[in-house]
Amino acid sequence: MHQMTKPKRYWMTRVDRDAPAGVQPEFPTHPQADALATRRAFLKTAGFSFAGLAAADCGSAPQFALPHTQQPELTPGRGYSYASTCGACEAACGLLVTTHDGRPTKIEGNPDHPLSGGATCAVGQASILGLYDSLRLTYPTRGGVRTTWADVDAEILAALGSARQNGRAVRLLTGTTTSPTTSALIRTLVASVPNGRHVVYDPVSSSAIPDAYLVTHGLRLLPHYRFGDADVVVSFEADFLGTWIAPVEFTRGYTARRRAGDQGVSGNAHHVQVESRLSLTGSKADRRIRVAPGDVGHIASHVALRLSMLAGAPLPWTLEEAAVDSAVLDELTERLWASRGRALVVTSSQDVGTQVVCNLINQLLGSYGTTIDLDRPSNQRQGNDNDLQALRAELARGDVAVLIVAGVNPVYDLPDSAGLVRDLERVEHLVSVADRLDETARLAHVVCPDHHYLETWGDAEPVAGVVSLSQPTIRPMGDTRAFIESLTAWSGVPQSAYDAVRANWEQSIYPRAGAADLFSAFWNRTLERGVVELTPTVAAPLVFSGDGLSPVDRVAANAGGLALVLYPKVAMRDGRHAHNAWLHEMPDPVTKVTWDNYASVSPATAERLGVSDGDVVRVVSGDLMVELPAFVQPGQHDGAVAVALGYGRAGTERFNNVGPSWLQARTREGPVGRSAAPFVVAGDGGRRYDGRRITVTKTERRHRLASTQEQHSLAVPGAVAPIGTSEHSVVQETSVADLGHGGHPHEPHPDLWPRDHQYPGHRWGMTIDLDSCTGCSACVVACQVENNVPVVGPDEVSRHRAMHWLRIDRYYAGDDDDVTVAHQPMLCQHCEQAPCEAVCPVLATVHSSEGLNEQVYNRCVGTRYCANNCPYKVRRFNWFDYPREDVAANLVLNPNVTVRSRGVMEKCSLCVQRIEEGKIEASRNGVAVADGDIKTACQQSCPAEAIVFGDLNDPQSRVSTLAAGGRTYRVLEELNTRPAVQYLKIVRRDENESHG
Amino acid sequence: MAEVGQALELPLIAGNKRPGDVTNDVMGVIERRPSLLWWGGLLLSVVALLIGLVAVTYQVATGIGTWGLNGTVGWAFDITNFVFWIGIGHAGTLISAILFLLRQKWRTSVNRSAEAMTLFAVVCAGIFPLIHLGRPWLAFWMMPYPNGRGPLWVNFQSPLIWDFFAISTYFTISALFWYVGLIPDLATMRDRAKTPLKRKVLGWLSLGWDGSFRTWHRYETVYLLLAGLATPLVISVHTIVSMDFATSILPGWHTTIFPPYFVAGAIFSGMAMVLTLMLIARKTMRLEDYITPRHIDVMCKLVVVTSGLVGLAYATELFSAFYSGNAHEQFAFINRATGPLAWGYGIMVACNVLIPQLLWSSRVRGRLLAVFVISIAVNVGMWFERFIIIVTSLERSFLPSSWSSYTPTLIELATLLGSFGLFFTLFLLFCRFVPAIAMAEVKGVLHPHPRPPAEADGTSSVLAEVKV
Amino acid sequence: MSRTRVICNFEREEDLVGAAEAARDRGVEIEDAYAPYAVHGLAAAMGLAHSRLPRVTLVLGLLGAASFLAFQYWASVISWPTNVGGRPWNSLPAFVPVTFEVMVLFAGVGTVIAFLVVTGHYPGRRPRSSVPGVTDDRFALVLITDGDRINLAAVEALMSPFVPASISEEAPDTSAGGGPS
Repeated sequence: MHQMTKPKRYWMTRVDRDAPAGVQPEFPTHPQADALATRRAFLKTAGFSFAGLAAADCGSAPQFALPHTQQPELTPGRGYSYASTCGACEAACGLLVTTHDGRPTKIEGNPDHPLSGGATCAVGQASILGLYDSLRLTYPTRGGVRTTWADVDAEILAALGSARQNGRAVRLLTGTTTSPTTSALIRTLVASVPNGRHVVYDPVSSSAIPDAYLVTHGLRLLPHYRFGDADVVVSFEADFLGTWIAPVEFTRGYTARRRAGDQGVSGNAHHVQVESRLSLTGSKADRRIRVAPGDVGHIASHVALRLSMLAGAPLPWTLEEAAVDSAVLDELTERLWASRGRALVVTSSQDVGTQVVCNLINQLLGSYGTTIDLDRPSNQRQGNDNDLQALRAELARGDVAVLIVAGVNPVYDLPDSAGLVRDLERVEHLVSVADRLDETARLAHVVCPDHHYLETWGDAEPVAGVVSLSQPTIRPMGDTRAFIESLTAWSGVPQSAYDAVRANWEQSIYPRAGAADLFSAFWNRTLERGVVELTPTVAAPLVFSGDGLSPVDRVAANAGGLALVLYPKVAMRDGRHAHNAWLHEMPDPVTKVTWDNYASVSPATAERLGVSDGDVVRVVSGDLMVELPAFVQPGQHDGAVAVALGYGRAGTERFNNVGPSWLQARTREGPVGRSAAPFVVAGDGGRRYDGRRITVTKTERRHRLASTQEQHSLAVPGAVAPIGTSEHSVVQETSVADLGHGGHPHEPHPDLWPRDHQYPGHRWGMTIDLDSCTGCSACVVACQVENNVPVVGPDEVSRHRAMHWLRIDRYYAGDDDDVTVAHQPMLCQHCEQAPCEAVCPVLATVHSSEGLNEQVYNRCVGTRYCANNCPYKVRRFNWFDYPREDVAANLVLNPNVTVRSRGVMEKCSLCVQRIEEGKIEASRNGVAVADGDIKTACQQSCPAEAIVFGDLNDPQSRVSTLAAGGRTYRVLEELNTRPAVQYLKIVRRDENESHG
Repeated sequence: MAEVGQALELPLIAGNKRPGDVTNDVMGVIERRPSLLWWGGLLLSVVALLIGLVAVTYQVATGIGTWGLNGTVGWAFDITNFVFWIGIGHAGTLISAILFLLRQKWRTSVNRSAEAMTLFAVVCAGIFPLIHLGRPWLAFWMMPYPNGRGPLWVNFQSPLIWDFFAISTYFTISALFWYVGLIPDLATMRDRAKTPLKRKVLGWLSLGWDGSFRTWHRYETVYLLLAGLATPLVISVHTIVSMDFATSILPGWHTTIFPPYFVAGAIFSGMAMVLTLMLIARKTMRLEDYITPRHIDVMCKLVVVTSGLVGLAYATELFSAFYSGNAHEQFAFINRATGPLAWGYGIMVACNVLIPQLLWSSRVRGRLLAVFVISIAVNVGMWFERFIIIVTSLERSFLPSSWSSYTPTLIELATLLGSFGLFFTLFLLFCRFVPAIAMAEVKGVLHPHPRPPAEADGTSSVLAEVKV
Repeated sequence: MSRTRVICNFEREEDLVGAAEAARDRGVEIEDAYAPYAVHGLAAAMGLAHSRLPRVTLVLGLLGAASFLAFQYWASVISWPTNVGGRPWNSLPAFVPVTFEVMVLFAGVGTVIAFLVVTGHYPGRRPRSSVPGVTDDRFALVLITDGDRINLAAVEALMSPFVPASISEEAPDTSAGGGPS
């Protein structure tokens, strides 16, 4: 038995995980059962140190809480990584959670995860702050007052019991649950009552996609899109790089496909975005086609028709003239046709007809089986708006006796919340499983606060066959309970989450794995690796049925009329993370605005309405009205007014005076942003987010939008354009044609000084591929988490005092209707001849022997001369002692990074703490630091793998090879600062678009 | 120079004084009870000073964030005021040292207060680099002193260190120069002192000066040496101040013209400030006989000259930017002249280049009110020059993404007000307790008198003069 | 042989200068002269040599410059070499401004101190001249009689063309002597 089971080994970095067992003798080797006991006990004991910090006492003492004479696994001060699964959204990316002294401090992607492959998004990176949110509900309530779990369960069981007897309706309303265990338990619970049903909806619905597959393939499913296999991608409104379904996975595939090898790029790759607002995805498109909101269906029909002709089986369609120039459509269609089997057409339209046409296009292009996987469907969107409609009808009739709302917030998410509230109040037993008293939980008779996903056991199967585990990395901070445990309790067989998950895996996952060894070994292996891939049980392949296909008509474009476009913002998505200050302060990748949502209008429309940024406008549709600051957005369709969802969440008033308080500090009123959910159209086909006709009127009031960027164009304003040149060359571009020709060698400028300084050993450097970078800003938040960057609040941001060490500059080129976008991550360039160093009087910023520009916080007196002299303006000054009163939130601080005090300068250190840790690890293992061992936080999180860090002294390192490539350039090279950070030029693939 | 010729003919001091009259007149100012005007001025100044003190206290307690600065514009009011005050100070040294070397006898009646002005201006200037620090309490780290942090010195390549040494040296030498010049007058005061305490204190301060000519003989040498040292010093100081900008890489700062440009500007603004103070002093302290229209006239001419130099500098930097063919450089200056702060640039050119041209006309120079107004305008203009140079270069530098703008907060405005309060408080106190005119020097330039009849009584004649 | 000090008071600097010249022509020893300001031409009249203070200034200035230049080199090259902006350890041009300032500081302060030492001035020193008003508008010439050929009468006769306001004689001042010049 001892010999048979492989001792499980927790690993700290990939280095020692991949290193052969035994190089870390301190890891205990004992039977896994004990190991488990100690592991769980460790978590509980570790949790003890935080019991005091939790808002309430921690309830019954855990039976495992035995003091350890020698602490297992834990060397104080060392960071440990535990493989887990991200619970921030339904994409369920694989994670490695870094814990210090028993508290999670950083989330990283799990490189072994087949979908997310080591990357994360900004939301995932930030979600760790939710764990330490001091305003979480930390105990169950009943009738609004605190109570015990026993009491809660008693009430719910009684309610279920009575419902069982007299056949009353029991409804379980949840969001998409990718967890097999949770789903199984839900099925058990729902089955246990005669009139029980499980209703699923997604806060931002994709319900039309499965509905369309029901039409075309006879099965309601969400296919698995494989952007990595698509050369030509045409997206109708789908923001697949930013917010749509699984942005991390899609971004990885998309950028990997466009990047053929480190040096060149794939010339075949082409991406056309047809959209009404300028989305993150649109900002990366090789060709953007502006269309009126809701018009994509008609355009898609045109494409389908053209393709059908090319396919030789013309559709019997007669279509009205398209809003887009037919030459453009011809070119687009031919491009698609030319790359049949390597093309992918997607749309996020909530119009089933449009989705059906999209499926038809993909069918014509032979995408099924190549770029669209129907055998391994995705579980990332399971919402069914028809079910939701039915439920609302039931609620309206008052038929529902017990309604359990878990993990969703319908009162906020859904339109006509007033009616919903009325109906919910008639439900006899309204149970809410939420993390706080949100809009819905306030109505609930019983609130059963769920664990944060970092506190509980769980699992996820985002895409059929990819199953991952998530394990707790800290003892629950309050008297909360995992939803899984609640379900077991209400099914009458209470189980710990661990037992439930393990049992379910033994029953259903293990058999599918077809593993040769024992379940326990399989379990441990999976637990360590975090994820397992199962061979799918291939059912009969789905076939496309072409009958009942009809084109989508063009939306009636009443002249000058405005239509509303509701969209999830990259940081805020559906608003479930609205209490996360990091996400509020993250500048939107496109607008660069923080801490707000707003009504975006095109420059032309803005002129017509006489509004400019910050003018409060009144958006009216029928009896619905919302007042929002206007924002002028180049590249947006003149008929569209875009408003982000996810804002105006109750309780976000907590942020009204976030940031330093002083004489002239400006505080805010009300919640952060305003909710646009009421404007969602809840039709029969499902919830729709575009097309609602609105009127926009300007008010006299103004609202200061906290934007991190004032000048949006590289083109210098005409008034001050210098003679000769009209543009700064900080963003450089090349074309596919020029790629072949090698790069110009960087011969340094002649120098006045003798070169005294050699850099023996390491010389750290970085390359950033502007062609891959999508601006998704995962790196921005990752850097903030890693380096304890404070949140300064909207007022300070609007004063240009944002503290992000890594910012993403976004520049527009071209004219307003056909705008080209460039994203440029900007961080300390670690110049060899740093202007900042020479001017510091007290030697507080100096150059290290490894080529780093070091900032010595405790020597800095704060003259700010260095910042003035920095041509890249990447230095950040502590204007105040930024508030860190929230003791719970302080637990997220990285112990390896100093928290800077007032009056000192700070900036990107290229994660020097990680560099040192990596070097120490290497020397501990008696090996040299291998290329890729050390990853900066930004690089680690980047889904596009645009950032590469490494040793420039090692000619074999990736960074060296990239730096030697043809696309490399240095920003402001003419200043001869010799940055260690180099950029790879953007590749413009569309000959028609060649903006500097 | 023309003044030399005039100095020989025209009397420098009106009213055909004798040495005794000088003593009585100048000492009279101190011994008389202060005028209401003086009290009013002091009250205003002290109030302004207190406002400034409150503002600085709040800022030091709360953080530099209480200023309008941001990540792009790291300096604005603070360094503007610093350079402004330093510039004011330079005129004092110019008058006392350079004009001394140039044998400009007319300086004798203004150099004492001009030197005082220098001291007080340098005090005001010195405050700003201190309080603009993120952590002012660590300012002493600028000093290269042996410390417990291992061999940790300072960065002698940083212009701020140069500044630190330049300003402290400048203050020390100016103070010495002023005090050495004061010793004989202190002796005079001692000998006129009524109360024993006064006599004791002044006796200490005057170091036992007894008018021995053997001492006078060396004294003149020392004074000459100090003048000879102060002259290159004053130029070096403002050169170094200009290097804070010139040695940076920022377009609009990084220009070789800055040292002469700044020195000229400093003398220009300083002259204007001297004029302002002199005109106030001669009115409020009845020194019309000592600060005659001729002094005003000469200083006006200096203002015109330096104004021309400054104007030339403005033109030159625009030209060299255009001629450089460097896009960043060109942009910086076009932005300076036509960008968001174009209005400030307009004020600067109008006040520093255009308005002073009025002084070409002797009629304007004769109208003291007009001169007064012009001198104020120049002071305003020179403040704006520094503000424009600093802020326009910062707010729009290399990366358009980080372009920003700057608006001062109440705290900054209060701090600027406070610095003026401090300056005038010190100056008014100086007028009360120290001979505002260097008696020993003035006596040296009096015209010879016939041997007086025995019964002639100097004092009565003085009183007669004072009456009219 | 009783040496005495004869103190002659004048009201005009011209008289003082004339008297001094006359006394010197007659070989009368001039102990010192007292005046409210630096009387022009008196030095020549009294035949005072040029002061040697400029040499002190020069030496101290050079000393200050040299020592601080050395210190800067030592601090940034030997004691704690730091890579600042990739510039060489010994960035000599950058050391020039501070060197200059320190030179001026040493020279200036040193000169004044030397002056006070040489002339014997210090806080609390008692003024030597008992002549009233020499800090105001009076001038005085102090002559030394040898009691033989040059006596009070001779001095009075010598001074009469310059109408001294008063002439008085007193015992020799033991603390005489202005020190070397």
